[in-house]
Amino acid sequence: MWAILASQRPTPPSGWEEGLLYDIWLNLIANNGWQRLLEGFALTLQVTLGGLVLGITFGFVLALMRISRLPPLRWLSTLYITVVRGTPTVLQLMIWVFVILNSPDIPRLLVGIIAFGANSAAYTCEIFRGGILAVDKGQTEAGRSLGLGSGKNMRLIVLPQAIKNSLPSLSNEFITLFKETSLLGFVAITDLTRAANQIRVVTFNAFVPLISAALIYLTVVIILTWALGKLERRLRKGDSR
Amino acid sequence: MIRVENLSKSFGENLVLDNITESIAEGEKVVIIGPSGGGKSTFLRCLNLLEVPTSGQVWVDGVEITAKKVDINAMRRKMGMVFQHFNLFPHKTALGNLTLAPRHTKIMTKAEAEKFGLALLERVGLADKAHQYPAQLSGGQKQRVAIARSLAMRPKIMLFDEPTSALDPEMVGEVLDVMRNLALEGMTMVVVTHEMHFAKDVGDRVLFMCGGQIVEQGRPKEIFTNPQNPRTRQFLNSIL
Repeated sequence: MWAILASQRPTPPSGWEEGLLYDIWLNLIANNGWQRLLEGFALTLQVTLGGLVLGITFGFVLALMRISRLPPLRWLSTLYITVVRGTPTVLQLMIWVFVILNSPDIPRLLVGIIAFGANSAAYTCEIFRGGILAVDKGQTEAGRSLGLGSGKNMRLIVLPQAIKNSLPSLSNEFITLFKETSLLGFVAITDLTRAANQIRVVTFNAFVPLISAALIYLTVVIILTWALGKLERRLRKGDSR
Repeated sequence: MIRVENLSKSFGENLVLDNITESIAEGEKVVIIGPSGGGKSTFLRCLNLLEVPTSGQVWVDGVEITAKKVDINAMRRKMGMVFQHFNLFPHKTALGNLTLAPRHTKIMTKAEAEKFGLALLERVGLADKAHQYPAQLSGGQKQRVAIARSLAMRPKIMLFDEPTSALDPEMVGEVLDVMRNLALEGMTMVVVTHEMHFAKDVGDRVLFMCGGQIVEQGRPKEIFTNPQNPRTRQFLNSIL
């Protein structure tokens, strides 16, 4: 890309020849920087959404294990959470890609999703557990006194309320996960952050690509925060206990 | 209908029920009074095993529910319980609260449960609130829904754990009225309460509990007009 830039030296449109405008043209337009950022952003979103779905599903299972009456399930869940929370996310990502699922047959993007899902699960597990514990004990007493077994009581009475309790923290986890996917560059997956960095390397200009990427992250986080807050308020309507 | 033998319950070092033996006949209305911390609620909660006794036996309808292999869920269906704080399911409508247990314990189909549920709401005067959520109801209405919810399982016994203690004074009456009607229909009732008028009007027998024991018991008239035990006297003086 740099070679092309050097040999052909495309010229900027009039009025864009110098200063910040030139930098913007050079980084985002001249070498199709916008396209790289867009592709990176698409990848970031894929890993975020995939990781989120996986993390919530697996985290929910872990939470049920954690409150289970069977000690081995509790231990397993606790062990998993301890390991995941006790090691750096970027290292976990590298271990997934280069150790556990190190095979040319497995798409690396998928491994990235698995790595972030597995990581997020440990945190969503604790969120769900907190949500379950926050359900008033009287709810279980009412359910059991009506003759519901513990499983039905959990499924029909406790969990619907627990999930609602968990939503605010789950929104936070969603946003955290979205930003954490910027680590994907460490395993050579070109997400938004890595795409921005690649432009920097080619153009020798850091300001425009890095700030552009930052603005994209920020915009998405602001939109997400607003949308999730709105969803939460709607779910809470008519429910004051 | 209910028989309790040598029932004791401790929470750690704290002995809450001290070797209680008592029985309650079918159709009888027993009111339990006494100072807080005296073991009233714990006694009531041992009757449907929400608290597991430390020692002793409880028989309900001829079955020892403290036995190891008993189907406690089936036994609990025979006993409705009404709580101080209602414990309605906030994510279900009033009718949804009533139909949940009958449907999911498979004793009724959805249609049957809804028909019966609506009839019960009618009976407690809340037919128009069937599709409202608990958050939209007043305290008295919530407690009436809670009573109807217990009745939805067609219990033989109703246990009331201070059903009016969390209510604003002006809402106590409507809940007591529902309980009075239930008593008139012949339901076996065990009621922990501080409503002495209710105890006098409705109770066949009053148990005074203090220090984990049934210190004194008798017909309401005897207990309230001529208490024998000094602790009963002291308690009644302090509240009347």
